[in-house]
Amino acid sequence: MSTGLQEKVGMKLDTYNFKIEKGKLKELALAIGDLREESLKGELVLPTFPTVVDFMGEETSTLEDLLGLNLQKVLHGEQEYEYLGEMKPGDDLTVTGVIENVYTKASMDFYIIKKEFVNQNGETVLISRSTIIERH
Amino acid sequence: MEVGYQFEPLHKEEITHSQLVRYAGASGDFNPIHTVVPFAESAGLGGVIAHGMLVKGFVGQAISQWFSTKDLVKFSTRFRAMTRPGEKITVQGSVVEETEERWICQAEAVNEAGEVKVKSSFEIKKR
Repeated sequence: MSTGLQEKVGMKLDTYNFKIEKGKLKELALAIGDLREESLKGELVLPTFPTVVDFMGEETSTLEDLLGLNLQKVLHGEQEYEYLGEMKPGDDLTVTGVIENVYTKASMDFYIIKKEFVNQNGETVLISRSTIIERH
Repeated sequence: MEVGYQFEPLHKEEITHSQLVRYAGASGDFNPIHTVVPFAESAGLGGVIAHGMLVKGFVGQAISQWFSTKDLVKFSTRFRAMTRPGEKITVQGSVVEETEERWICQAEAVNEAGEVKVKSSFEIKKR
């Protein structure tokens, strides 16, 4: 592995806030094609809603910029969520992230990104681990 | 509920290009490999591919129909194959193990030919 990659381990992402709004919950449900009443009212936090929180934090600096990734070569390898507490509409989340690991395998670079979502009461409600792959 | 129990499969509508545009907007994932055909072609993908998280989203929808999301404690997914507009996805799953406190389950999203697109494992708190 090149030293350039190794240096990225431990790199912290910018901390940001995200408020869970019903409109965003509904928008995700519609995009997935989940037309249940509860989903369309924006009252159900779908299991993959954390991805919205992940991407909305990239308004100012994207992960691709930070890690110097080529978007044409990037794939999502794995995604894990641990739900430690409840997330509800109206919650105000503070999100921190770190590059937990980086390694090269079969001509591809693997980046493990860990994020923690903490709500307005200081409870950690979610841990997200993404594996992003860049093909060489 | 018992180990071996098969959940009712969730059959999704055919994925369309418009859905990928809509998903990009909803999720904030604007990588053009999902929405801009010439960009995806020059990336060597032979056309746009669906966001992996859209397909994981189908699995998440299925889980939320099988259980209360309040009981979901863990949901891991491996993205196995690319999904393209025109494909129809079905989510199927079963209970594979149990502990005193949890049901350990798995689910997969497959196309009409049975190709596995994503494989998930998830854990549900017992009530």
